[in-house]
Amino acid sequence: MQIPRHRILDLVKAQCRIFSQNFNPERLRLGNKILRQRLRGPALAAWYPRKTVSFRDLQDTYRPLGLTMFDEAEDDREEAIQIAKSRGKGRPKKKRTAAESRTAKKKK
Amino acid sequence: MSQFRAKRLDLGGFINARVVRDHTKRKVYEQYEPERQALRYIIRNTTLPQRARAQAQLQLSQMHAYTRPTQIKNRCVAGGIARSVIRDFRIARYQFRQQALAGELPGVKKASW
Repeated sequence: MQIPRHRILDLVKAQCRIFSQNFNPERLRLGNKILRQRLRGPALAAWYPRKTVSFRDLQDTYRPLGLTMFDEAEDDREEAIQIAKSRGKGRPKKKRTAAESRTAKKKK
Repeated sequence: MSQFRAKRLDLGGFINARVVRDHTKRKVYEQYEPERQALRYIIRNTTLPQRARAQAQLQLSQMHAYTRPTQIKNRCVAGGIARSVIRDFRIARYQFRQQALAGELPGVKKASW
C-alpha cells in the first residue's frame, strides 16, 4: 500500500517538533549543523594544569596576621647577595634617569 | 600575541614560552568561539542574503589568528614537546615511557607475552 507523501511529511514534522529538530523537507542548507555543534573551547582550554597554591600564596595570606615563615630558598638567595656585595660583585645601581644611563655608557 | 597574554601566568606544571603561547591561544579561542560559530552559521545558511554572507566571510577571515582553532597544538604537559603527544595522558612519548616505568600512570603496564 502506497502511503501518501503528505502523511509522511506530517509524521516527520511531528517527530521534529518532539525531538526539537529542524523541519526542512526541501533540504535547504540552513547551516543548522553549526548550531548543533557543541562548544569545544572549555575542553581545549583545560589542557594544561592550572596553578595551584604556592608557598608564596601561603606567605601572603598569613602576613597580615603577623605570621612569618622561613623560606629556605629565599634565605639562600639573600645570603648569596650579601656575600656578592661584600666582595664588590653585587649588581650595579639602577639608573633612574636617561642622563644617568648616558654617563654610565660613556665611561666605557 | 602579547595583547592576549594574561598579565599574571595561571599555569602550573612545566612552563616554557611555547607552552605559554599555546595556552594563550586556547583561552583566546574559548573566548571567541561563539562569535566564530555565529559567523560560520551565517556563512553556511543559504537562505540569508548573499551580501550578509559575504560580509560574514570577510569578518571571519579578518579575525585574529589566535581566535582560530587550527592554531592550537597539543603539547606535552610534562615537557612542552609538541611531537608524539599521547592524547589520553597529555604526555609525549618519552615522558610517558619514563612515568609508566616508574609506575606513576595508573593502569599502564609494559606489554609482555
